[in-house]
Order: sequence, then structure tokens, then C-alpha cells
Amino acid sequence: MKLRLKILSGFSILAVILLISAGWSIAELGRMGHSVQKLLDENYRSINAAKEMIEALEREDSAILTLLLGKKEEGRIILFRADSIFNKNLSIAENNITVAGEGGIITRIKSTYSEYRHLWRTSLTEMDREVNRDLLLTGMHSSFLATKSASHDLLNLNDKAMYKTASDLQNRAQRATMPGIITVIAALIFTLIFNYLVNYFMISPIVTMTKNITQFIERRKPFEFDIETHDEISDLARSIRDLSAIIQSRSV
Amino acid sequence: MRFYVVLRYVAFSFFLNAIFLALSAVVSLIYADEAFIPLLYSAIIIALFGLFPVLFIPPIVQIFNKEGLLIVVLSWLLSCLIGIIPYILWGGEFTVTNAWFESVSGYTTTGSSILTNVEVLPPGLLFWRASTHFIGGIGIIIFALAVLPSFGVAEMVLYRSELSSLGRQNFQYRTRKAIKILAGVYLGLTLFNTVGLFIAGMNLFDAVTHAFATIATGGFSTKNASIAFYQSIPIEVVSIIFMILSGMHFGFLFSVFIERNTTFWKSSVVKYYIMVLAAGILISTLNIHLYQGTAWGTALRHAAFNITSVGTSTGFASADTAIWPAFAQMILIFFALQCACSGSTSGGIKTDRMVILFKAAGQQIKKLMHPNAVVGIKIDDIQIEDEVVSESVLFIPVYLVSIFISTLLLTFSGLDSLSAFSGTVAAMGNVGPGLGTVGSMANFGHIPETGKWILSIVMLLGRLEIWALLIFFLPGQWKKSVTY
Repeated sequence: MKLRLKILSGFSILAVILLISAGWSIAELGRMGHSVQKLLDENYRSINAAKEMIEALEREDSAILTLLLGKKEEGRIILFRADSIFNKNLSIAENNITVAGEGGIITRIKSTYSEYRHLWRTSLTEMDREVNRDLLLTGMHSSFLATKSASHDLLNLNDKAMYKTASDLQNRAQRATMPGIITVIAALIFTLIFNYLVNYFMISPIVTMTKNITQFIERRKPFEFDIETHDEISDLARSIRDLSAIIQSRSV
Repeated sequence: MRFYVVLRYVAFSFFLNAIFLALSAVVSLIYADEAFIPLLYSAIIIALFGLFPVLFIPPIVQIFNKEGLLIVVLSWLLSCLIGIIPYILWGGEFTVTNAWFESVSGYTTTGSSILTNVEVLPPGLLFWRASTHFIGGIGIIIFALAVLPSFGVAEMVLYRSELSSLGRQNFQYRTRKAIKILAGVYLGLTLFNTVGLFIAGMNLFDAVTHAFATIATGGFSTKNASIAFYQSIPIEVVSIIFMILSGMHFGFLFSVFIERNTTFWKSSVVKYYIMVLAAGILISTLNIHLYQGTAWGTALRHAAFNITSVGTSTGFASADTAIWPAFAQMILIFFALQCACSGSTSGGIKTDRMVILFKAAGQQIKKLMHPNAVVGIKIDDIQIEDEVVSESVLFIPVYLVSIFISTLLLTFSGLDSLSAFSGTVAAMGNVGPGLGTVGSMANFGHIPETGKWILSIVMLLGRLEIWALLIFFLPGQWKKSVTY
């Protein structure tokens, strides 16, 4: 192989190593960005919705107590406002089903809340009747607990999914940095080897040839220098040897 | 010492690794798992690294013994280094230390693992893990010589440097033919084992990876519970047969199955190997039955599998040997020290050296009785060279001293004595599982970082049969010589 090709191959290999590594790091960073977006879009939105629903449920519970205390108007206002918040967030969660099992939980929330809602709506008119009050309150409480429990399930499910995505992100971060680290190490080792080979097969023969030529000029010491590399340097060595032989024969 | 010569030949081991990395990437692509990019990246980097010295350095026909030795040792060390790249790129449980331990364990066919959960690894990475066993099984250089074009005279030096004198004994073929026989038997056994395991009930992926691990006497499984996962007698029987075959000299297997040579059963080493293994199984069965009340059939089944596994340095498990009675555990320790025949993929002291040791002891007794008699050592009517005898007899105490030193260092790093000793014996013999906290159903993940580095050095010492690695690190061995 000729010198030009040898040097070119060295630099080309180095360039390919760097290019592949850079490409992979960029791809991994892109995926990381996508994962962060996914984390925010898919999980955080549902977590927030679940929290808001739990908060709304608590307010509705307080409103029912307010009604029982006789503050009917105040209770009614709190109740309808909380109901509106609950429904708004339920709709957000319903439109953001991204984790396996999330759909089932939302159906459960809808079903239990619809029962709970029906009971407190009835209570607005029936609460005054002493006979119905206990019956209504018992049913309402169990529906309230069931809705709250389903909302907590939604929160936990998305919490877990968010943790998993965050763990994946950690792995992705490692995968994005590792090619860089490995490439730096590989490039360093490669440079050392390249330097050793250039020195051994190019610089050293030239230095030795120069020394031999000087010795030939000063003391007519025959130029003896064998080289096995089959490149321009071995051609040069052969030419110098021939030249020295001709000069030697003419001078004799 | 011509370093460029070493560099050129070591580069061929890079190609071998790159081929298997590329194959693993293909597996990853088939299963559409996430290890594809790490495997492909590793394959390209390693192939480029291998390509450069081959392009730059002119072919060299004549190489010296020292250079051959350095090529072999460096090929092992650098292959282990290559092996860590896909692991650390993958991440998970693989820190640098853990990846190095897993890689050394793979190439040296030890089969000890730091992974607490193997089953979470993607198929591509599991295939690479099994491939490290397969590459290291018959020796990285022998494998490279077999699959790459002929290197002429250099081939003989490399072959002699890779295979121990014991391994070459009774294997009187020309170098090229010997390499072809070794590789042929190796590939043939792997193929038949794959088919056997597949018929016995494994899926194709598991059959291939377990065959790689069985024939290389490695022990990496794709399941956390190793072979015990399958709870299948046919799978255990197929594995036992191929573990025993893999523990025999490949030259013998070639003589028997290809050349139809009937002198096979007259070989003292093979007779010793089979008889000691059978005795170990029977004694352990009795011990397990008597002291644990296990039914005869179950005791025999577990003893047969686990004794064969340890006795051939494979390291698969079908039961938790850490809870076996003490006597049966001592039998396991004996087999982990001795292992199988030379010229096989097995590690340990080797049955050949045990036979020579017994013969040398007999010779010593004869010499005491007849001081003037000239008594040589013969095995199967073949005179064993004094050099081979002294090397074999000296190897055993050096082997045991190495185990003692490693055990001391491991206990110093905080490991209990049973785990430290059995772990070292298992690492030195390239067996895999030890006893105590590093038993057959446990892993090496909990061992301190320093302990993992000590054990990985011990694995390499065992695989390179001590001397090669020691010479490598002796100063003044690698003087420079100049030839352009």
C-alpha cells in the first residue's frame, strides 16, 4: 500500500469513528428530548388532573357538610363550582389516556362519580326530609370514597409511569454520553498507534537513510538498507542504493 | 520484540470480535430490541480498529515465540476490553467494573455473572454475552486462525502459544490440520447441541445461546434460574451429554467420531475422567439422599447435572448447590479444582495433570525402592516428555498457591471465607458458581469492586494457565528489535 493511502486510511478511520459517535449522540439527545416532552405531555397532565379531581371531591364533601349545617346557598355555590372543576379535569384525563389500564380507571371514576353526583343532587331537594337524610348520607359517603379511591389509582398509575420514563431517561442520558467517552478513548488510542506506526514506518527509515547517506558521502560506506513496506519509502531506499552503487563503481 | 508484528496479529482477533458483534446486532434487529445501536456501533469501531494495522503493516511471515505469546495474551486482554463496550453502552446494571467482570467471565468461559436479573437484557445483548463464551471457548487465537486466511509459518507459532503443551500432546497433526480439527469438532458439537436442545423443548434462541455456553463450557444462561428454569429432564440429559463431550480432548472426539478409532476407550485420561465423574455423581446422590431426604431419582438427577456441570467447568445449575450437604459440596470443590481434559474447552487443573501427578507419585515410590532404576512416565504406552511432566507437576502447587492468595485478598476485601474460597476456585477453574453467597442460584453482583477485579484477574490466570500471564507482566521480557 502506498504512503498516501496509508495516511489517508488512518485519518479516514478516525473521521468515521468521530462521525458515528457524533451521529449516535445527536440521535440519543433527540430521543431524550422526545422522552422529556412525553413525560410532560402524557404523565404530568394526567397527574395534575387526578390531583385536581381529588381536591374537587374534597370540596364537594365540605359543601355537603355546609348544606347540612343549613347554609344552603353557600353550600350550593361550592358544590357546583367543585363539580365544574371535577368534570373539567375528568375530561382532560379522558383525552390523555396514554398508559395501559388508564382507560379502565377513568371509566370507574366516571361511574362512581355519576352515582355520587346523582346522590348529592337529590340531597339538595330531599335533605330536608329527616327520613331520607341518613340513607342519602350513607350512600353518598361510599360513592365519595369509591370516586376518591379511583382518582388516587389514576394518580398512582401515572406516577409509576412517570418514574419509569424518568428511569429510561437516565439510561438514555448514559447512552448519549457513553459513545462520546468511548470515542475519546478510542481516538486517543488510535492516535497513539497511528503515531507509532508513522514514526516506525516513515520517520525512522528516513532518519536511518539520511544517516547512511551521510556515512556514504563521508566514508564511502556502502548504502545497505532493507525495507519491507513496499511503498514510496522502500522505492526511495532502492533508488538511493542503486545510486550509491553507481557512484561507488565510478569512483573505483 | 517487534511491536508492530504483535499489533498486526492482535488486529485479527478484533475482526473476530467484530464479526460476532455484527451477528449480535443482526439478532437485535430481528427481535427489534434496543441493543441494536450499541452493538452496531461496537462492531464498526472494533472492525475499524482491526482494519488499520492490517492495512498499514506489511504482512510478516516469520514471528518469534515471545511475539506469539504476547499476541495470545494481548488478544485475550483486548478482547475482554472489547467485550465491555456493548455492556457499558447499554447501561443498566453494567458499571465499568461490572461490565469488565461480565466480559472477562464470558471470554474465559467462567460464566459467573454480576447480573441480578438476566432476563431484562435484550436478546441482542444476550446473544453477545453467549458469543463471548463461544469466541473464548477454543481460544481466541485458535478461533481466529480457523476462520481467517492462513498465516503460513506464523500460524504454527501462534498455535503453539495458544494451546498448552498438554493440549498438544497426543494431537500429532500438522498445524493447519490440527486447527481445522479443533474448529470442526467445536462447530460440530455446537450444531448438534443446538439441535438437541431445540428438540428437547427450548426455543431456537435459547438453544443457540445455551449451546454456545455448553460447548465452550461457559455457563451463561438467558434465564435467572439457569437450566433449572426449564424443569425439563430431556434438556438436562442433552446438556449432560454435551457437557461431558466438551470436556474431552477434541482430538479424541475427532478420532472416535470421524476416524472411527476404537482405541478411544483405552485412553487412561478419558477413563479417569469418566470414572471419577461417575463416582462423584454416585457419592453425591447417596449423600444428598441420606442427609436431605431427597428422593433417589431427584437426588440422582440433580447430582448428575450439577456434578457434570462443575466437573466440566461449565457452571450451569439445575438446583441450589449452596444448600447441599457439606460432603457433596466438598465433592463439588474437588471437581471445580480438577475439571476436565486438556485439549478441550474446559478450565481447571485438568485430568491429564492429575493422571501425570499420580504417575509421578508412583515413579517417586519406585525410585525410593530402586534408587538406581531409570523410571520414566508413560501414559497409554507413550513416553511423556520430562518437560511436560515437570510443567504439569509444578502447575498444581502454583495453581493452589494462586487460589490461596486470591482467597486471602477477597477475605481482606470483606467477603466471607466460604464465598471467597469457593468463588476463587470457581473463577480459577473457569467454572462459574461457587458456594455460600456466590452459589449456583446467586450472583457476584454484591462482591466489592476490588473483589470483582481480583476475580477477573484470577479468571484470566486460570484461562491462560498461569504462566503466559505471568511472563507477560515480567519486566525485561519485551526488548525492542528493529526491522522496517
